Amino acid sequence: MLKYVLRRALYSIPVLILASMLIFVLVREFGTDPARARCGVSRDKQCIPRVEQQLGLDRPLPVQYVDYMSEFVQGQWGDSQRTGQSVAESIRRDLWDTSQLAFWAVLLSGGIAVAVGVYSASKPYSPGDYAFTGLAFAGLALPTFWLGLLMIQYFTYELQQWSGSTDVLFRSIPFAEGPQNGVEYFQELALPVFVLSVQLIAGWSRYQRSSMLEELNSDYIRTARAKGLPRRRVIWKHGLRNSLSALVTVMAIDIGALFGGLIITERVFSRPGMGTLLLGALQNGDTNILLPWMLVTGAFIIVFNLLADVMYGVLDPRVRVA
Amino acid sequence: MNARLRTRGLVAVVALATMAAVVSAAPVGASSQGRAHEQGSGGTLLIGAEQELATANWISSSAGSSWGVWSLGVQTLPQAFDVTPAGEYLPSPVLADEPTLVEGPPQTVTYRINPEAVWSDGTPITSADFEYLWKQISTGKDIFDATGYKSIESIDTTDPKIAVVTFSEPYAAWKDLFGGFYFLVPSHLLEGKSLDKAMKDGYSFSGGPWKLDGGKAGWKKGKSITLVPNPRYWGTKPSIQKVTFQFITESAAETQAVKTGQVLAAYPQPQEGILDEFDENSDLEYIVSFGNVYEGFWLNADKFPLDSQAVRQALMAATDRQAIVDGIVRPAVREGKVLQSFVMPIFPAYFTPAFEDAGYGPTADLDKVETLMTDDGWAKGSDGIWAKDGKKATLQIQTTAGNEARELTEELWQSQLQTAGFDLTIKNPNSDVLFGVNGPKGKIQVGLYAQVGTPDPGLCILFCSQNIPTRKNGFVGQNWTRTDDSAIDESWGAVDVTLDTTARTEAAKEGQADLAENMVSIPLYQKPNVFVWNKARISGPLQDNPQLGPFYNMNLWTLAG
Repeated sequence: MLKYVLRRALYSIPVLILASMLIFVLVREFGTDPARARCGVSRDKQCIPRVEQQLGLDRPLPVQYVDYMSEFVQGQWGDSQRTGQSVAESIRRDLWDTSQLAFWAVLLSGGIAVAVGVYSASKPYSPGDYAFTGLAFAGLALPTFWLGLLMIQYFTYELQQWSGSTDVLFRSIPFAEGPQNGVEYFQELALPVFVLSVQLIAGWSRYQRSSMLEELNSDYIRTARAKGLPRRRVIWKHGLRNSLSALVTVMAIDIGALFGGLIITERVFSRPGMGTLLLGALQNGDTNILLPWMLVTGAFIIVFNLLADVMYGVLDPRVRVA
Repeated sequence: MNARLRTRGLVAVVALATMAAVVSAAPVGASSQGRAHEQGSGGTLLIGAEQELATANWISSSAGSSWGVWSLGVQTLPQAFDVTPAGEYLPSPVLADEPTLVEGPPQTVTYRINPEAVWSDGTPITSADFEYLWKQISTGKDIFDATGYKSIESIDTTDPKIAVVTFSEPYAAWKDLFGGFYFLVPSHLLEGKSLDKAMKDGYSFSGGPWKLDGGKAGWKKGKSITLVPNPRYWGTKPSIQKVTFQFITESAAETQAVKTGQVLAAYPQPQEGILDEFDENSDLEYIVSFGNVYEGFWLNADKFPLDSQAVRQALMAATDRQAIVDGIVRPAVREGKVLQSFVMPIFPAYFTPAFEDAGYGPTADLDKVETLMTDDGWAKGSDGIWAKDGKKATLQIQTTAGNEARELTEELWQSQLQTAGFDLTIKNPNSDVLFGVNGPKGKIQVGLYAQVGTPDPGLCILFCSQNIPTRKNGFVGQNWTRTDDSAIDESWGAVDVTLDTTARTEAAKEGQADLAENMVSIPLYQKPNVFVWNKARISGPLQDNPQLGPFYNMNLWTLAG
């Protein structure tokens, strides 16, 4: 297993290098010019040439890339070309913010998706199953941006009006000084976690239903029932465990992608995070942020992919890495 | 069995511990007031800010941010001149009186510093602070805009309360110096240090009514800026105990935040329906104003058929600018006016409605189009498009791709021009190609984008021939319309070096007339601003200031509740 993990990790390195080259070239050639982003409204016609020289943008592209990567691999991630702030610090800070959102969404979504999937599979084609199926498709089809704005409209303003309260129950923006207690933490995260969870639950519950249906139709399940084991026990103890492998694989991959993929949710709810960091870096052509960002999120995807493989083996002893 | 129980137990413990750790990441406050204190029962004002500043080093090339100026700069550091809401220069509280200008040569400006003006550590603000700022800008490597500072030859600091600035060449826009995007900083704290390192993440000193709460800690990156009163401020001290500018980048979320009281004031980008949203809450009051950012159709005089003055004039006559304003501006803010000059009406000292005076009203005049084009030798073909010497009057317009308002403007204009006999095609690159390549290299035939006006009327930078970007000068220069007119060079060149106010005003008005005569481009409208606040909680002289932002006089506001 260890050799397998190491081998997979080693294979990832050339992929990451290739991706970093591609991003560097694409952003430099087709993205925002960082010098122009800085000098925006300056009336000084020497501002842009000055900044280009200062940031080394007047050097050939390969030279810029090699210089940057050689510092990067030594742990010097440098400063933002836009703000001059430490890239490592910015990523650390925003990764923590994104992680909180992702953690709660995964926790909520995983629990509900499993429950819904098990219910739907144990009572297939029932009214409840059809209802959950309809909701799942709706959840998959709903644009996150639209859903987020809808939630803000109805669960902040309209709810406040209806309740006659001066305060809001759910926040559409974070607390300026951060939540001071658990209740405020819940108020701040409830809506964005919900919005994020809708699509996760919709997708995961379908996987779980499908996988569970397959298990419940297996011979060993029929045998267990024939031997007199209670239905509930057969479903939850035997069927669920064996059906989880597919869902866990999908969840692991999705979770890995979450660390770089919350752009819309963070934007709609004005939350700092990796998505907001990416947007700002793209808008300013800030490759000093883009490259480490890509490498960090790429590392998360690789790690969680590996985790998916390991979990698969844990859940199903028949599957072991040779 | 026991192993399984132990495993389950372990999983449960780990899960609970993880949840507890994450929840406890939010600091548990001991305040018994709960959240009430954040909204003002203890005097905290929350304001929504649409952009976060990139750096607090105000002279850095990254620092040209209006929100940075509004939320932090103006609040904490002094400038030589304030710009009033009426667009006039007024000596700021850091000065004792109006500076004295001696035309010379050499030109000198004497700044007499208010004897009561001190930094937050009690050290007087002195002429050395003027000298320090000048040297940092004129010799620095990463400077946003050194225009004007390089024209200063020396600053006499013999008297610590009098700064005598001597210029090496006449510089008429001297009132913009030690102001605009720049601020005076305490030289006694910064001399010998890296200014960027000392200031870029925030600073603990102040020479204004506010200071950062806890110094650099008052700027929580990605989240907010928090200010508290500066107890050493010599002017009117704030009565509000704390102000927090919270960064809310999504305009819909910001609108809801204002409506629900999560923030008490905001300065959002106007968009359709925003005023209707604010009208739903009777506690909200708002002001619509028109600022110093304006849109225009920018005509490249180097490209056929725009190399003909008559054609440019005909395009103006063919344009129903009022319809564009009604279609773009009115849906957002219920009012709008066509712009009749490239100097903003909000700066009345120099403004004149030159295009109106030249006979161009807000609506189209198709008879005038016919006359102008026919007299210039054009004739309409069977397709209704003007043609001359076998070449059609075909135009291509470019603007920033994805900008809905601008794309709609293009479509409106395309339809108007078609009626008038012009063929307009639309091709929109991304902003970096538009502004980074096509503009400087003369690849835009007609551009639709914004410019920023200033209280100082200098437009030479946009329309004088020496500012045309060419291969020879490395494509540096902002005269993208390639205007090359001796009358314009003369009038706007004079504006840049004429120190006498009366003569300068005359030159500026003559310059505007020259621009209209030449039809260098087509001004459209000033972009609107919306300033909204909760009137049940905030009172005082609230008004918009297009240069300093609506929060410029927060030290005069009071917060109820």
